[in-house]
Amino acid sequence: MRGLSGLGRRGRQLGTLAGLVVLCLLVTALTPHFLTVSNLLNVLQQTSINAVIAVGMTFVILSGGIDLSVGSLLALAGVALATALQAGMPVPVAVLVGLGVGGACGLVNGALVTLGRLPPFIATLGMMSVARGAALMFTEGRPVSGFGPGFRALATERVALVPVPVLVTLAVYLIAHFALARTRFGRYVYAIGGNEEAARLSGVPVRFHKAMVYGLSGLMSGLAAALLTARLNSAQPIAGIMYELDAIAATVIGGTSLLGGAGTIGGTLIGALVMGVLRNGLNLLGISSFLQQVVIGLVIVGAVLIDSLLKTPDRR
Amino acid sequence: MARNRTTALVALLALGAAACQRGAPAPDARPRVALVLKTLNSPFFIDMQKGAQEAAQRVGIDLVVQAAEREIDVDKQMQIIENLVQTGVKALLVTPSGSREVVPAIAKANAANIPVVVLDTRVDPAAAREAGVRIATFVGSDNYEGGRIAGEHLVAATGGKATVAILEGIPGHETGDSRMRGFKEAVAGAPGVKVVASQPANWERDLGFNVFQNMLQAHPAIDTVFACNDMMALGAVEAVAAAGRTGRIRVFGFDAVDDARKAIDQGTMVASVAQFPAEMGRVAVESAARLLKGESVPEDQTVRIELVTRAAAPAAPAAPPAAAGAR
Repeated sequence: MRGLSGLGRRGRQLGTLAGLVVLCLLVTALTPHFLTVSNLLNVLQQTSINAVIAVGMTFVILSGGIDLSVGSLLALAGVALATALQAGMPVPVAVLVGLGVGGACGLVNGALVTLGRLPPFIATLGMMSVARGAALMFTEGRPVSGFGPGFRALATERVALVPVPVLVTLAVYLIAHFALARTRFGRYVYAIGGNEEAARLSGVPVRFHKAMVYGLSGLMSGLAAALLTARLNSAQPIAGIMYELDAIAATVIGGTSLLGGAGTIGGTLIGALVMGVLRNGLNLLGISSFLQQVVIGLVIVGAVLIDSLLKTPDRR
Repeated sequence: MARNRTTALVALLALGAAACQRGAPAPDARPRVALVLKTLNSPFFIDMQKGAQEAAQRVGIDLVVQAAEREIDVDKQMQIIENLVQTGVKALLVTPSGSREVVPAIAKANAANIPVVVLDTRVDPAAAREAGVRIATFVGSDNYEGGRIAGEHLVAATGGKATVAILEGIPGHETGDSRMRGFKEAVAGAPGVKVVASQPANWERDLGFNVFQNMLQAHPAIDTVFACNDMMALGAVEAVAAAGRTGRIRVFGFDAVDDARKAIDQGTMVASVAQFPAEMGRVAVESAARLLKGESVPEDQTVRIELVTRAAAPAAPAAPPAAAGAR
């Protein structure tokens, strides 16, 4: 449909994976500090927040949309969760409050896109500003911090050496992979992104599924907010600025087409890991912060450039 | 095909990055020490880096300098610290992006037995106590005192009559809060000095412009603005010019960066509180060197501050190393 056959898409994912492996080998060759258990666990933990947000982003982009509000929703959900904790609510309830705030704002995005017929770019751009402002108003601009060890365990606890955020991320990816590959919901998301009109004509409840996709993205922001807040022991109303771009980058490096309809959740995980390993490796090597940004930008553009170069001959 | 190209691309990039890196001195026997700054795109931190690097040369330390892409990105700063701890640096020097949020990162350095020197922005004492983190020494200016001398200068220069607006830094930042407290305390003694507006402009020049422009709309009587850093003050200077009121509104800044010194020379700014970031960098590196030798350092090391005014400005470039070193 997008010029890449099923086999081609798998090839693309293998290509990204090969890129990740080569990147790891290179960093390993350049510094002895990369290939250690504690560093690899650090990479996974550092990647987890972007990886979780990127799950929601992948669904949205697969459906042919975009979600610019994820960073702001992370901030809003974070301060809601933190306030709930400080009000003495038990940890699971507070986390649910964060998830609820994220999910509800996501559904508002979905309603604006479907019922309001707004372009996703505009609807989520508006939400990005509203949610950020709401988070700042709600906290009067100050971070909400200082939580009990019960909540911090979400970041500090390890199960068989593996930090909890990494386990949470893995679980999210397994569920998301199953949902995309094996459920009707997943098939509909691909169908809507591939050709919305055709999907509508063949009886897919387009509006409902599109709205759900934005709700899911908001929910993922809420989950990422819980992980980030536990990690920093603080929820900042200015947290997550530009995180939407990191999530979009992970998604497109992972091979999801910005036009919708083509891509995989596994690819996104690899994309997020490429960014995480890149940042970690550049830090370990002590490479200048400015050069780091150049390298990261080149990798993003390069990965998508390859896609478009490979696609063109197919189209003709 | 796809595989080969992606692989080749990543390989090329990484090699390129590594090649650029090879320009740096080869690994040596000198102890490796990390300096993690809030950002590298402000003259203040560039000066701090310069001072630190000069001192590192002198005392025989291999200094690695890193900063997040955005000053406010506390999670990226934490990642950088985690990654540097992995490389086994012998000491960590850090300017916290968040007074509380930096605490878990410091805890990780503590766990790896890496001594931590905090520069410029204090760690929130309550958060530090609660987490039980150890900080070897703090090196920075007394921001409260800086705000106070600016306030005193205003009272003295106006005979205690002024209508004041304040441009705050990022809310919740110890640095900006202390400067503002110092300033307010100093003018509180003069009943003729009224603070009519106080808004955050997040340390940024363009926000300083916009916020002050809006303040002037709401309060046309404003004749003085105290900005908690020079970037916001310089933004306010432009807003004053846009309103055609240059010379009639007193602009106070903080940091005395090069542009602010020029503005003071030209009379578009009244004064700025000079900090000496290069000296902070120097003292921090020297402290690290002493800690590595097992010597003790004072818990709190205050670096001098002074008010730069028009009378003082022409002489200034020669005096502080911070200004002389800037390009």
